[in-house]
Amino acid sequence: MEMLIKILHNYYYMVAILLFIIGMHTMLTHSNLIKKVIAMNIMDTSVFLLFVAIGYTYGGEAPIIREGSEVLYVNPLPGSLMLTGIVVAVSITAYALSLVVKIYRFYGTVDYDEICLIRSQE
Amino acid sequence: MGIDQHFPALIIAILFGIAFLSPPLFRWARKFSAPALITGLALSLIMAVYLLVLVLQGGEFTYHMGGWPPPWGVEFKVNLLRAYMLIVVLAVSLWIMVYALKDLEHELKKDLLGWYYSLYALLVGSMAGMALTNDLFNLFVLMEICAISACGIISIKEDRACLEASFKYLILSAMGTGCFLLGVAMLYMVTGQLNYDLVNEALPAAIELYPNNMLAASALFIVSFGTKAALFPLHVWLPDAHASAPSPSSAMLSGLVIKIYAFALFIMFYQVFPRSLLESIPLNEIVIWLASAGIMFGSIFAMVQVDLKKMLAYSSIGQIGYVFLGIGLDDTIAITGGFYHLLVHAIMKSMLFMCAGVIIYSTGIRQIKQLGGIGQVLPVTMIAFTIGSASMIGIPGTGGLISKWYLALGALEIGRPIFVVIILVSSLLNAVYYMPIIVNAFMQQEEFQHEVKPVPRQMLIPLVVGMAGVIFFGVFSRPVITLLENAMQIFL
Repeated sequence: MEMLIKILHNYYYMVAILLFIIGMHTMLTHSNLIKKVIAMNIMDTSVFLLFVAIGYTYGGEAPIIREGSEVLYVNPLPGSLMLTGIVVAVSITAYALSLVVKIYRFYGTVDYDEICLIRSQE
Repeated sequence: MGIDQHFPALIIAILFGIAFLSPPLFRWARKFSAPALITGLALSLIMAVYLLVLVLQGGEFTYHMGGWPPPWGVEFKVNLLRAYMLIVVLAVSLWIMVYALKDLEHELKKDLLGWYYSLYALLVGSMAGMALTNDLFNLFVLMEICAISACGIISIKEDRACLEASFKYLILSAMGTGCFLLGVAMLYMVTGQLNYDLVNEALPAAIELYPNNMLAASALFIVSFGTKAALFPLHVWLPDAHASAPSPSSAMLSGLVIKIYAFALFIMFYQVFPRSLLESIPLNEIVIWLASAGIMFGSIFAMVQVDLKKMLAYSSIGQIGYVFLGIGLDDTIAITGGFYHLLVHAIMKSMLFMCAGVIIYSTGIRQIKQLGGIGQVLPVTMIAFTIGSASMIGIPGTGGLISKWYLALGALEIGRPIFVVIILVSSLLNAVYYMPIIVNAFMQQEEFQHEVKPVPRQMLIPLVVGMAGVIFFGVFSRPVITLLENAMQIFL
């Protein structure tokens, strides 16, 4: 019971892990190359969500310090790190998609099973 | 305090700068683009050697990016092991580049060369960064740069096998970096730090409170670095990627890229994780058994290959196992052996891939079966191949023997003779697949059947240098071994 309450209190961590598993599973098992790329993005995004969730404080404000007022601030570091992470994920996605385009030009399909079939027939 | 205090950052800045300069130079001032890359690599190598001298004189030191000390800024750290790693990366990549200048002309389309130089400089720069960085998130970014540029130097050849192999590599290494970032999130959650040393300080208290986080993080790190470094069950991307790539890329990927991740795993285990964690969770046990399985299966898979480069690629899976074995055995002598193997294997595997490259350049042959009698037409290449193979097997006088010797000594010292047996058996297995090629190449009576193009001297000189290197590190091993033993003192 205690465990369940803990999980309910930290449901955003569970969502992130769930997304991570969905992404990883799809990426490794699906034969469609485009879906693999999408799944890669889901996986990366889940980690970004987790990081942002770590940095959040209940009732926190944007971390801009003003004279004379004492309020709770959100941790700005994870957010700024994830900006870098998003840039990296975008560049990986762009590169992966360009590879898919080139593979499509050779085989006329983006399905890995069909590619294997074409190769075995040659 | 002169400019030399900025050397750790300058090395990376120079390499990344050259990466940006290469394509425009190649477009508008073609004859300067290759010399610029070579000069950049040589300059950073000189700086790396200077860093090693500084460390030898004054002990380890840190460099703060932009003057911001941790926990705010990114920190670079230079100690003996990192300087050693840096020199290995830069020296081997300079050597491969000299060979590549000639080989690439026939493997790539003419106007792609500038882009290749750019990717190459990015790859070397990111590896140099990984050797120096002292920050988890910085490591993540460098890993991604390394992954993209490593895939780039495979897919630049644009034939079908290369494209498929690099897509597979990209997907699996994206999984690796994804796992790494999740692991970093787990650590950041409980410690609030990203700097290695600060994480290390905060972890013992955090483990008490959140043991599950640590379990998850260590599992994720093993999966992540295991995938990237081709630790046994996660090696599936390696054979295709390393075999289909242009030969200089194969040399680079097999020689250095998989090693740097083994080094990163070592740093995670022995610098970031507190000692108590390694003692309470059998992380090292997992690593050594996977490494042993890799040593055996890599060799067994290599035996059945018909393609020369594919055989060399499978052999890499076995050889990276030795490095992991050294890391996992958790003993000064064994780890010294592991890191010595890292150097020796970087030289000999790169040299073997260069030999394969010369054979492909000169005759167009990739099949092992057709190599009979090739020793008479390409003598220097095949002698280099013989010396490289001898070192793989561990014949006295070559570097391979020294590293296996130290690994075996380390295994005996902590009382686990089973690993000595594994090392011996795998040496025999190595002999089983390397010897027939050599015997065939030199002993065949009949004439070599295929057409042979003359090999330019620029491709043969690197091979001679490689041979000299393998034998030098087999005969004069003492300085490097002493350096590594001193380097290990702060970790164990």
